[in-house]
Amino acid sequence: MEPPRPASGAGTAGVPWYLPAVLVASLCVIVGVMWDISWHSTIGRDTFWTPAHMAIYLGGLLAGLACGWLVLTTSLGSTAAHADTVRFWRVFYAPLGAWVCIWGTFAMLTSAPFDNWWHNAYGLDVEILSPPHTVLALGIAAIQLGALLMTLALQNRASGDEAPRYRLLYAVAAGLLFLNATIMTTEYHRRVLMHAPVFYEVACLVFPFYLVTLARGSRLRWPTTAVTAVYTVVMLAMVWILPLFPATPRLGPIYQTVTHMVPPDFPLLLLAPAIVLDLIFQRAPPSLRGWRLAAVLGAAFLVVFLGTQWAFGYFYNSPASANWVFASDNYYYALPKTAYAYRHVFPPVRAGALVRGLVVALVLAVVSSRLGLACGDWLRRVKR
Amino acid sequence: MTAAAHPARRMPNGLTVLAALAVLTVAGVAHVGSPDVYYRGAAGPYQVGVVVRPPGVVPAQVDVVIQVFNGDVGRVTVQPVYWETGTAGAPPPDVAQPLAGAPGTYESRLWLMTTGSYTIDVAITGPRGTGAVNVPIVSAATRELPMSPVLGAGLLLLGAFLVFGLLSIVGAASREATLDPGAPVDPHRRARSRAAVAAAAAIFALALLGGNAWWNSSARNYRRIIYVPLANRATIVDSAGEHVLRFELTDARWLGREQTPLVPDHGKLVHLFLVRSPGMDAFAHLHPVTRDSNEFRVAVPRLPLGTYRVYADIVHRSGLAETLVNTVRIFPGGDAAPFTPTDSDDSWSSMPGASRDATHATLADGSIMTWDRGDTTIVANQLAPLHFSVRTPDGRPAVLRPYMGMAAHAMVTRDDGSVFVHLHPMGTIAMAAQSLFDHRQSGDTSRATDARVMAMPAATLPDTVSFPYAFPKPGHYRMWIQVRHDGRVLTGTFDATVR
Repeated sequence: MEPPRPASGAGTAGVPWYLPAVLVASLCVIVGVMWDISWHSTIGRDTFWTPAHMAIYLGGLLAGLACGWLVLTTSLGSTAAHADTVRFWRVFYAPLGAWVCIWGTFAMLTSAPFDNWWHNAYGLDVEILSPPHTVLALGIAAIQLGALLMTLALQNRASGDEAPRYRLLYAVAAGLLFLNATIMTTEYHRRVLMHAPVFYEVACLVFPFYLVTLARGSRLRWPTTAVTAVYTVVMLAMVWILPLFPATPRLGPIYQTVTHMVPPDFPLLLLAPAIVLDLIFQRAPPSLRGWRLAAVLGAAFLVVFLGTQWAFGYFYNSPASANWVFASDNYYYALPKTAYAYRHVFPPVRAGALVRGLVVALVLAVVSSRLGLACGDWLRRVKR
Repeated sequence: MTAAAHPARRMPNGLTVLAALAVLTVAGVAHVGSPDVYYRGAAGPYQVGVVVRPPGVVPAQVDVVIQVFNGDVGRVTVQPVYWETGTAGAPPPDVAQPLAGAPGTYESRLWLMTTGSYTIDVAITGPRGTGAVNVPIVSAATRELPMSPVLGAGLLLLGAFLVFGLLSIVGAASREATLDPGAPVDPHRRARSRAAVAAAAAIFALALLGGNAWWNSSARNYRRIIYVPLANRATIVDSAGEHVLRFELTDARWLGREQTPLVPDHGKLVHLFLVRSPGMDAFAHLHPVTRDSNEFRVAVPRLPLGTYRVYADIVHRSGLAETLVNTVRIFPGGDAAPFTPTDSDDSWSSMPGASRDATHATLADGSIMTWDRGDTTIVANQLAPLHFSVRTPDGRPAVLRPYMGMAAHAMVTRDDGSVFVHLHPMGTIAMAAQSLFDHRQSGDTSRATDARVMAMPAATLPDTVSFPYAFPKPGHYRMWIQVRHDGRVLTGTFDATVR
């Protein structure tokens, strides 16, 4: 193995030009998505040209154009410039993450006519997850994954003074990607579900995989904590900033009085299980690995997440949390006043179903963690 | 509603739809096969015509066109109002924009976000002051839209490109991503890369199958919300020697009381029409009376034997107007059975229609009804010249009287039964729905169906009547125009060929 060397294209004082571009793109698309959800909850009516849509497509274009330019300049450059890249279709060269970003841009472009037809055929979809939205979500996720991979390769090759910088940038990229995962599963994380099995089943299916993968790829001492901290900070910013802007519904029927942009729910309390996962990573003996390590990580995630989120649910699903800090009065304009969320009560869950659901969640958390370990170990080795 | 005339077709699955031909099935809820809503009348001091074109999917946008016939107008606004929330839960009104090249005409597009009974509130301000009118409509999913071949091919290409790109990324990632900078790719890595691409291809194939199943599931869910009129049963029974049509609502939604009760529309709970099929040479406009909340009965006039299409217009208290469809057969004996009309406003006609495009019809009392259509070619989806005048047998203009509160009634059907519309000079809207919304706006929801709402004018009327309507598609149509003259209900029959 050759000794570590400065990252490609980077001077000792800076980072490669494309890295800020893809990180800004990653931030743009995910903030755009959250803004768009708020727009649909508040104003309802939209066009292609809403600022939220512009943020999403700006992110897509920025990543696609930056990476496309990178491909051109690298492919037409000297052989030495190909050293840090992967080859594509025999003639093109670029970092792996750039290809993933470009793929994401094309997926986003593909989703537009598909989504338009979907609306004409089946009406405007009011759910977050529909087939065309999934193509868009895959594109957005790919842009964020591409940004992560580009940062990761630089982190894994970095040494000396530049290493801490890339470790932090990696945590930011990872946090933004993780934020995407939480948004895609939003419908299962609503506060009225905090005492329902599906809340924990979906959380254990998705979150341990992401957290363990991203943590194993990091060189930070507290990687899971850092990733969930980025998630928490961005979410809190959206919870606190969006309601500062006056807005009223432009669609009906209107069941709720809405005067300002509706914020998302308060962030999930993922910092607690993240700290525990980091402690396990730090203190696990070398012999604890594979499925046994996954079992410990999965069980720890479920126990800590269940404990904090279940307890928080009592407060968060009560009228006491209907204030600007927690924003549990974030009713969207068409929420009927008969809804559990409006009445701040939990839907009934049978004890047997809850126990079965938690057992399922435990199994999912372990399997999810094991997959995370495998993917994370691969991330640690990515250098191009 | 075409759901009865055309049984719902299976939604093409996700992959099939990519290659399917674009076929648009247009349907409606109130009336059959004629989804567009036409209104003509007063909005305060302004005489207006309003056309609303529902898109057939929900949520979606409706096109609204407003024409002001008298005087200048400063501003026209339109607002969709859902029956359950009223104006308090309606979005702010939109300003309708002038239509280029058509003075006095304004247009707008409004979002209807849910299914059910709506009204489009039209408000006009101008030199004559302010005026408003509500135009009731029904928001319902009524159609399926397969994908055009061009779009399907384009998406297939893009999809294939995405899959190919993804496999290339997997190949590159497993081959080179973990190599140190500048390190060569050894044969072992190449083999591993090929295996990874093969495994990824299998996973992507499974994912695509899963996506296809998801798409099919979404299409099935969509089909569940496609409007289906209330299931019903129509039978002719012998009652003390008389032939009586028994009309029963058998739909679980009705029996389970999931819908609001019926209210009278211009005085009758049900307007039931019989049209002899296939010749359309006999027609009846009857008004069954309730026996209980599910069953209605009406004596059947002496009509020729044969199969009859049944169209029953009803209005729910929510303002939702719908036309229920069925068929009955009049058996031997029915044309000679004793008959006493159930309702004094029942009417029927077994005169064969005039020859194609004839413009005169001799009525039962010898009067002549003339269709003042001029030389105009009737074109689908363009307002048709439906102007009629009545002269007495001695050639004088007839003095008409309201028939069930209306200057005239027109029933329009296409020869294949795919279109049936019951309209009035005020258009295709249900008057009862308009009254219900008017009273709901003022906060009065409890007495909306009382006699005050249904009060009928008894004024004398001019000898001419007009109907605002556009035929929904080309074909051969028959129209029955009904007026009251000298105490009798008279029916003129006309045929129209629509290009």
